[in-house]
Amino acid sequence: MRNVTLIALSLLIGIVLALTTAWSQDDMTVVDNAAFDNPQRTPSVFVHDEHNEMAEIDDCAKCHHLYEDGKLVEDESSEDQSCSECHDLEGSGDQPSLVKAFHTNCKGCHQEQKKGPIMCGECHIK
Amino acid sequence: MAEPLKKEKTKVVDEGIDVGISRLTEEKIESVINTVLETETGARLKIYVETCIHCGLCSEACHYYLSHDKDPHYSPVGKIKQTIWEMIKKRGRVSPEFIRRAAIIAQTECNMCKRCAQYCPFGIDIAYMLSVVRRIIHKLGVTPLYIQDTAHSHSVTMNQMWVKGDEWPDTLQWQEEEAQAEIPDLRIPLEKEGADIMYSVIAPEPKFQAQLIYQAAVIMHVAGVNWTMPASVGWDNSDMAMFTGDNEVMGRLKRAHFETAARLKVKKIVMGECGHAFRSVYDMGNRWLGWSMPPFTIVHAIEFYYDLIKDGRIKIAKKYKTVIEMHPNREHNYCCCAGGGVINTGPPFKMTRILGNRVKAEQLFETKTKGAEVLVAPCHNCHSGLHDIVHHYEIGLDIKFFGDIIYEVMEKPE
Amino acid sequence: MHSFYNFVSGPLAWIAFILFFGGSTYRIVRMLMLVNEKEKFIFTYMSWRYSLRSIFHWIIPFATVNWRRQPVLTVVTFAFHICLMATPIFLLSHVVLWDEAFSISWWTLPDAMADVMTVIVILGAVYFLVRRLTLPEVKFVTSGSDFVILAIVAAPFVTGFFAYHQWLSYPLIMCLHVLAGDIMLAAIPFTRLSHMLFSPFTRAYMGSEFGKVRHARDW
Repeated sequence: MRNVTLIALSLLIGIVLALTTAWSQDDMTVVDNAAFDNPQRTPSVFVHDEHNEMAEIDDCAKCHHLYEDGKLVEDESSEDQSCSECHDLEGSGDQPSLVKAFHTNCKGCHQEQKKGPIMCGECHIK
Repeated sequence: MAEPLKKEKTKVVDEGIDVGISRLTEEKIESVINTVLETETGARLKIYVETCIHCGLCSEACHYYLSHDKDPHYSPVGKIKQTIWEMIKKRGRVSPEFIRRAAIIAQTECNMCKRCAQYCPFGIDIAYMLSVVRRIIHKLGVTPLYIQDTAHSHSVTMNQMWVKGDEWPDTLQWQEEEAQAEIPDLRIPLEKEGADIMYSVIAPEPKFQAQLIYQAAVIMHVAGVNWTMPASVGWDNSDMAMFTGDNEVMGRLKRAHFETAARLKVKKIVMGECGHAFRSVYDMGNRWLGWSMPPFTIVHAIEFYYDLIKDGRIKIAKKYKTVIEMHPNREHNYCCCAGGGVINTGPPFKMTRILGNRVKAEQLFETKTKGAEVLVAPCHNCHSGLHDIVHHYEIGLDIKFFGDIIYEVMEKPE
Repeated sequence: MHSFYNFVSGPLAWIAFILFFGGSTYRIVRMLMLVNEKEKFIFTYMSWRYSLRSIFHWIIPFATVNWRRQPVLTVVTFAFHICLMATPIFLLSHVVLWDEAFSISWWTLPDAMADVMTVIVILGAVYFLVRRLTLPEVKFVTSGSDFVILAIVAAPFVTGFFAYHQWLSYPLIMCLHVLAGDIMLAAIPFTRLSHMLFSPFTRAYMGSEFGKVRHARDW
């Protein structure tokens, strides 16, 4: 019985994985985690255009914010930069670490909007 | 999780228990249990009961458990389950039949040796919990007859064996005369104020084994000790009340003992070879009286002998035998199964002790095969209990006190 | 699931931690007050030296006679308890949450190692369960509550293990995991899981009695 469940489970996971990859070949499908030396989790699933369409986000700065001297610069965005250019792995002072920046940026908004994934495995899909 | 007793026990008849049980009512049981739990117990019992994780790791510490083919009814925690847990859980609403079983468990199936506390990872004092059960049994008047009789004797005569006022100095004088046949100038000094040492014994010595007093007198004499014995109450250091949960009588006994030493203005008390008396004087009785440690320096006979030999006050004329250790030994040795008042519950429970300590017989037999001929037991209860075991299991070992051996091998005046 | 997750990881987690820390403090203070009220002599007999000597021997595998007599149990119980304490404290996902909530963080275990440690806890719980069901001396003193507390302890690890591997319905498992953790924390002071709080005291007292009064070892 247990074996059957295991096989069924792995098949299911396999199919889901295959499907997710197939759908999203054209576009950005995950958050780039190249900056991490030894990532403990799979890169966060994130289909950029689809997400913004669904979430009705037009303003790039909504996520790609720009801070100067610890203050948010209104009407400026930072989509031409990598997140890791500002957010290093350790974080310092008011500057959150890269992990924390990702988490607060995504999860923070999801919490505010009461929509979207908020648990670890909802983004870091195995 | 009920588990049938592996062997159907033959029902023991003990008048103390049986008559006591016949007088009980459920109301009385409930009120006594709750009174003891509320007024006489505190954090220890509460925390012990609530901390025990029911792991059973104390089991193999217990000679009863090991001797009964690992029957869980005899494991330390098993005994707790059958007694105090139920009493607490049911808020005292237990049956007279339950009390009967509890009395037998607490008074005859535990020697209070505390080996289980050395095996419990949390150091839970299981023997203490069973002593609370004994206290309840005492207050319910269900204590086994024989040990209750000794406790009564303590209460009436201030000694364990109903030794009457004149019998005590008579016995000492008799032993003095006997010893003078061997050493003419030997004395057993009575009521000698300001002596260095008060020597106290347990009542079974004058009652049954007066030659032990003779031997002690010879050792004292040869060593040139400035010693004395009291002529009236306070000479008996034994304490069966401690084992019946009769703390009030325990307190009276110890007070008499200490006050006698104070009256005689001695520097310290040396006591004969007895285990429980030392516990009473050094650990339990003094606490009841409010002394964290005894108000007098208490020296047990074997420590005293050790000092005498080390200081050269007695000299060993001939080698006795080679020491062969038994295993387990030291603080991990098995109890004799007589202590904790169990042997004092008398004939009805003789087989409880003997069958409850088969593991001791095996241990002794193993030691005998290594060449041991004599078993040294520096305690009266151990001595008698081991005698029964050696006899029943046909092990064939002589049992001796240290005093016997020292008396035999020491240099004595010609 | 959003609101349920937020409830179990928000208000309920607060309640759980308050019950855990508050309850633990309460239980220990109550115990000390009870000692003070009824068994003051215990303080007289307590000795730092003999307390620590005894605790020291019992928290080291194979340093006591009984640990040596039970080698399998000793290995299992030490592995179980170490992993039980260390895994939730040093788990990356947990520290990430602490960081997000309170901007505090500390060293974390690699996920692969935490995964192994979780398995150790689960297997340890299975061992204890089997032991309870099969060894007569354990079975005899086992009651329903023993299974309940074992389940309370095992649940956060089983659900955590499933959540980490994203088996079954992930959001549901995740919520159950947080709930199970809350329950365990809150249960510690108020069940026999409180041996976590009290065992150092009982051990210390027995060590003191044995060392100071009896002049003997209690291990």
